[in-house]
Amino acid sequence: MYLELAKRNLERAKVRSLLAVIGILIGVMAVSAIGIFGESLKATVLENFEDVANELIVSPNYQEGYKYLEKKDVERIEKLPHVDSAIPIKSDSLLVEAKKKKAYLPIYGMEEKDVEEMFDVEKGVIRLKGSCVVGKRLADFADIRVNSKITINGREFRVAGILEDTGARFDINPNTAILLSPDDFSKVSDAGYTMVIVRADSLDLVDNVKKEIEDKLNSREEKVIVFDLKIILERINEAFSQINTFLMAIASISLLVAGVSILNIMLMSTIERTKEIGVMRAIGAYRTTILKIFLFEAVILGLIGSIIGSVLSIAGGYAIDYLILQNVKYVFQPATLIYIFLGFSVGLATSVVSGLYPAWRASRLEPIEALRFE
Amino acid sequence: MRVVELIDVYKIYKTEFYEVKALDGVSMQVEEGDFVVIMGPSGSGKSTLLNLIGCLDKPTSGKVLINGVETINLDDKELTELRRDTIGFIFQTYNLIPTLTALENVELPMIFKGISRQERERRARELLSIVGLEDAMDRKPNELSGGQQQRVAIARALANNPKILLCDEPTGNLDTKSGEQVMNIIKEQNEERKVTVILVTHDPSLAKYGSFVIRLRDGKIERVEG
Ligand SMILES: Nc1ncnc2c1ncn2[C@@H]1O[C@H](COP(=O)(O)OP(=O)(O)OP(=O)(O)O)[C@@H](O)[C@H]1O
Ligand SMILES: [Mg+2]
Repeated sequence: MYLELAKRNLERAKVRSLLAVIGILIGVMAVSAIGIFGESLKATVLENFEDVANELIVSPNYQEGYKYLEKKDVERIEKLPHVDSAIPIKSDSLLVEAKKKKAYLPIYGMEEKDVEEMFDVEKGVIRLKGSCVVGKRLADFADIRVNSKITINGREFRVAGILEDTGARFDINPNTAILLSPDDFSKVSDAGYTMVIVRADSLDLVDNVKKEIEDKLNSREEKVIVFDLKIILERINEAFSQINTFLMAIASISLLVAGVSILNIMLMSTIERTKEIGVMRAIGAYRTTILKIFLFEAVILGLIGSIIGSVLSIAGGYAIDYLILQNVKYVFQPATLIYIFLGFSVGLATSVVSGLYPAWRASRLEPIEALRFE
Repeated sequence: MRVVELIDVYKIYKTEFYEVKALDGVSMQVEEGDFVVIMGPSGSGKSTLLNLIGCLDKPTSGKVLINGVETINLDDKELTELRRDTIGFIFQTYNLIPTLTALENVELPMIFKGISRQERERRARELLSIVGLEDAMDRKPNELSGGQQQRVAIARALANNPKILLCDEPTGNLDTKSGEQVMNIIKEQNEERKVTVILVTHDPSLAKYGSFVIRLRDGKIERVEG
């Protein structure tokens, strides 16, 4: 019945109630939609790193006097459980001559199949038998084309392919490098293995594999350093969560404004209804009853605004994702529900907090003073 | 049984510039079933007196006893319950809740008391037919005439079977015919159900309803008639 009374009072001031609901609705929608967008943005960025995330990079520990990994170390890593693949890489910095340019450049020695798996060619083919493939930026810079001839440490190689620009990577960066087969590499340099890229069977097993490698290879001395790219994933996650929180805090300013508008209309309402409050107190309403009636009004406003706002925030999130990310698939993920729930709760809480003071004031009115009010 | 007793009651309104003795040492007793008419010029303290009896206000000094209980010792919750269960108010300006229908207005004091929906609806209907409004139960106050509104207010005042009915100029805003109708209902309650009535008025023609008449002047009881 008190609920019914509250409802009718809100209906009495339709326009005012509607404005308050719209205020809350916009606030809730802003908070949730931005939350959804932030989560989508994060998911989109993380997606790009996902295939890298179950990688581990094993490198020699220079500080303990190890410059290269040994062949048997590589073999031991390959045999560990949960290791999907291990790609050993030799590297050195060697003098390269092409046309009229010469420079010291990073040269990698890798199996042809590993190169094929890790990179794509833009021109030519990946073939490492007496030939090499060249990174995109280097090719542009030194005007190297497919079938060009280049000299590495005095030995001539034909360019079989030019790789696509890979963007930033955490393991090796082939954009300004030249890739040779291990056989050819050993003809131009005596450098050993400088890195093994290990891929675990799944993201969950990365920690296991990391521990296994450290146990096996570092049993006597700290021979190797194992770096897992999961950390990067975690950092990105963290950074985006912070950005998201910040964006939502900005969005919640609109909720603050909505809260003030509820405070305002509820205060107006208590003043207008002072006499009514006096009458109810005179015929037997407790202070707490008055408090309840007014609080119900704020809750109803908040509830309606928050529910509509939550529903619309899906559309809002969809729209922002579509406009900025050109991709809406992340709107429909479980995290979206969390942000809708968050927006909803903050909207409702704002309304209750805003209604509390006017309701409290109404309940404190002395019956006689209230009755005398005209 | 003595339902209302005032002992040397003062009510003084103090402001920065002046002091008003709205009640200046009033003592009186009202027995169960009495019909008391309080008369006096404007500003003589009639409403102030009625509000003290109705536990809406507290005296500056002196004692107010309702059913033998000293009201000064009661807290807000107990005063609220006393008003709800023992006292019915009828105001000059009706004071119905504008968002509620006639029926719901009458139900309101019973809602505050926690009476079940079924029971309070039954009683509200019964009360509204006693005051002759069985056809207007679902109308809102602004769809009723002044006389009809005042009759709804009487039904509301009677909702929780009060011992005491306090009426502050109940006919003040009504024409003679509606006023008479209202007075007859109040008189009927007094005679048939032994409800104690304390009624404040300017209108000398209402003196005839009272078992006695108290005349107030400048916050003092000038004389008691009848
Ligand atoms: N809240 C208040 N503050 C200051 N003075 C007050 C207050 N309420 C009443 N008074 C004064 O107390 C006196 C008695 O007022 P009261 O309302 O009891 O008179 P009344 O007999 O009911 O008059 P009326 O017939 O006009 O209704 C008046 O002089 C009035 O001005
Ligand atoms: Mg008066």
